[in-house]
Amino acid sequence: MFDDFGWENLPPLLDGMLLTAFLVVTSGFLGTVLGFLLGLSRTAPSRIARIVSAVYIGFIRGQPVLIILFFAYYVIPLMFPAVSVSRGVTAIAGLSIYAAAYIAEIVRGSMLAVPAGQSEAAAALGMNFRQKLRYVVLPQALRIAVPPGIGFLVALVKATSLTSVIGFVELTRAGRITSTINQEPIATFLIVGALYFVICYPISMVGRWYERRLA
Amino acid sequence: MTFYFGDILPYLPEMLTALWLSLWVTLASFVVGSIGGILLSLAKTGPVRVVSAVASGYIEAVRNTPLLIQLYLIYFGLGQAGLQLNPLWSALIGLTLNNAAYTAEIFRAGFASVPVGLREAGTALALNKYQLFRHVVFKPGLRGIIPSLTNQLIILFLYSSVASVISLEELTAVLLNINNATLRTLEVFTYGAVLYWLTSALIAYGARTVERVMFRW
Amino acid sequence: MNPIITVHDLHKNFGELEVLKGIDCVVEEYEVVCVVGPSGSGKSTFLRCLNLLESITSGSVTINGHELNDPKINLNTVRQDVGMVFQQFNVFPHMSALDNVMLAPTKVLKLSSSEARDRAMALLEKVGLTDKADVFPSKLSGGQNQRVAIARALAMQPQVMLFDEPTSALDPETVGEVLEVMKALAEESMTMVVVTHEMGFAREVADRVIFIDHGQIVEEGTPAEVFDSPQHERTQAFLSKVL
Repeated sequence: MFDDFGWENLPPLLDGMLLTAFLVVTSGFLGTVLGFLLGLSRTAPSRIARIVSAVYIGFIRGQPVLIILFFAYYVIPLMFPAVSVSRGVTAIAGLSIYAAAYIAEIVRGSMLAVPAGQSEAAAALGMNFRQKLRYVVLPQALRIAVPPGIGFLVALVKATSLTSVIGFVELTRAGRITSTINQEPIATFLIVGALYFVICYPISMVGRWYERRLA
Repeated sequence: MTFYFGDILPYLPEMLTALWLSLWVTLASFVVGSIGGILLSLAKTGPVRVVSAVASGYIEAVRNTPLLIQLYLIYFGLGQAGLQLNPLWSALIGLTLNNAAYTAEIFRAGFASVPVGLREAGTALALNKYQLFRHVVFKPGLRGIIPSLTNQLIILFLYSSVASVISLEELTAVLLNINNATLRTLEVFTYGAVLYWLTSALIAYGARTVERVMFRW
Repeated sequence: MNPIITVHDLHKNFGELEVLKGIDCVVEEYEVVCVVGPSGSGKSTFLRCLNLLESITSGSVTINGHELNDPKINLNTVRQDVGMVFQQFNVFPHMSALDNVMLAPTKVLKLSSSEARDRAMALLEKVGLTDKADVFPSKLSGGQNQRVAIARALAMQPQVMLFDEPTSALDPETVGEVLEVMKALAEESMTMVVVTHEMGFAREVADRVIFIDHGQIVEEGTPAEVFDSPQHERTQAFLSKVL
C-alpha cells in the first residue's frame, strides 16, 4: 500500500505542514489578542460593549468555518480593491475571526469561573475595576482558561485543513495534490493524517496534563 | 458598493432544501454516532485491556485529525480500494465515525462526574453494578452529559458543511453554486450565514428548554 | 450475648500510609458503640472497612457470621445486613424521598411495589417526614435529607447500622432532629456503631465508647469511664479539647 506512494512526494507534504504551523501560529496569535479583548468586552460594565461583543461572538460561533473562510476569501479583496490580497492573508484573516469568537467565550467562561468572592474581597480592599481585574481576577482566570484554550488550539489546527478549499497550499491541499499525482489516496491521506496527529496529539496531552495539575 | 439582497431571494427555496439535507445528514450521523460513542466509552472503560486500547486508539486518532482528511480517506481512499461510495454515503459514514469518537468522551466524562458519595450509598444498600448504574448513576450522569451532547450536535451540524468539499449538495455547496450563477458573493453568503446561525440558535434554544424540563430535580 | 461484628487485628494501608494499625473490637447485638477521636485518627476508615467500602489490608472482620476476607463471599448479601448513613447524606437527587427509601427494597430484596411502599411510608413516618414523601432532595433541608438517608438504610432491615459522622455536615438547628431519630433507634435496640463528635449524644446513648487515635484503639469503656475518668494521656488531651 505504501510502496507506490512515491516517497519523493514527502517533502511537499512537509512543506505543507510548515505552512499549517504558520497558519496556526499567526491566526492563533491574532485570534487570541482579538478574542481576549472581546472576552473582556463581554463582561465589561459598558452595556454597549457587552451587546456588540455578544452579537459578534454569537454570530460567528453559529457559522461553519467554511462559510467564514469563504466570506474572507471573497469579501476581503472587495474591501481593498486596489491591493491584490493573497490567499494566505485571507486564510489568516478568516481563521482569526473564527478563533477570536471561541477564545472570547473561553475568556468569558474562565472569568465567570473565578469565585465572586474574590472580586468582592478585592473591592472591599478598595481596588478599582482595573486593579481588581489586573491583580485578582485575570491571573486566576488565565490559569482556568489554559485547558480549554489548549483544546481550542487543537481545533484550530484541524480548522486550517479547510483553508485548502480556498486554495491555500497547506498540508491538506498538498495531500490532495499529491494524491492526484501518485493516484494513491489511501497511502497519501494516511500519511497526511499521521502528520496532523503528530502535531495535535502532543498538544492534547499537554492540555490533559495541565488539567490534572489544576485539579 | 451597492448590495442586491433582493436578487438572491428567488434562490431561497433551493437553499432551504439544501439546509434540510444538511440537517438530516447531521441528525442521522449524530444518532448512530452517539450509539457508537456509548459502545466506545464502554469499551474504553471496560475490563478487557486490548479492547480498551483499541477504543482509546480510535478515539485519539479521530479527535486529532481533521474531519476533511477522514472524509477524503472514505471518499477517495475506499474508492482506490474498489469501494467508491457516493458523496452522501461518504458523508454519513464519515460524520458518524467522527461523532462517535467525540461522544465517547462525553459519555465517559459525564458518568464519571457523578459524585462518589452517591455510588457509595448505592453500594452500601447492596445494589449490584448494573443496578447501581441504572438507578443511581444514569440520571445524575445524564445531567452532565446532555448539555455537552447538544453542544456536540450543533458542532456536528456546522461541520457537516465540510461534506461540500466531497461534492455533497448541502447548504454550503449550494451557496457556492448560487455564487457562481449570480456573482453576488456578499449577499449569497450573508443569506447562508444567517440560515446557519438561525438553525444553530434554534437547536441551542430547544436544547436548553429540554434540559430545563428534564432536570427539574 | 451474640457478637454481630468481630474485628481482629485489622490493618488498613493506603499505599505506603498505614492508617489502621491493628484494631481489635467486638460489637454485641443491641449494643450502641460510639467511636470518637481526632481528625485523621482513622475512625471513619475503620467504619468503612466494616461494610468493605474500604478494602482490608490484613486482619479479619466478621459480620453476622460472614468473614469479609473470604474471597468467595457475596458482598451484596453482607451489605443487606449492614446499613450505612453518610456524613454527606448521599441521598439520590433524582428521586423523591419515598423513591429513595423504596429503591433498594424493590431492586435488591425484590419486594413488590406495594410492600416496599408500605415499608417506606412507615419508616418516613418514624423519622417524621410523612408529608415530605413526594418531595425531591433539592427541596429538603440537610437535616431532613439525613433523616431520609436513615429511613433508606433502615428499609433494608439491617442487623447493624453504621453512622459516619452523621451530623457533622448539618446546621446546628437541624443536628437535634437527626440525633433524636438516632436516639429512638437505639431505644428500639438497634445495633449501632456511630463515629461522631457529638459527645453529649455519646454520653447519653452509647453503651460503649471507643477512643481511636493514630489508627489504634487507645481506650474503651462505658461513657462514664471514658469521659469522666480517662486513663490514658492521649484520651485526656483529646477530651480536654472537645469537652
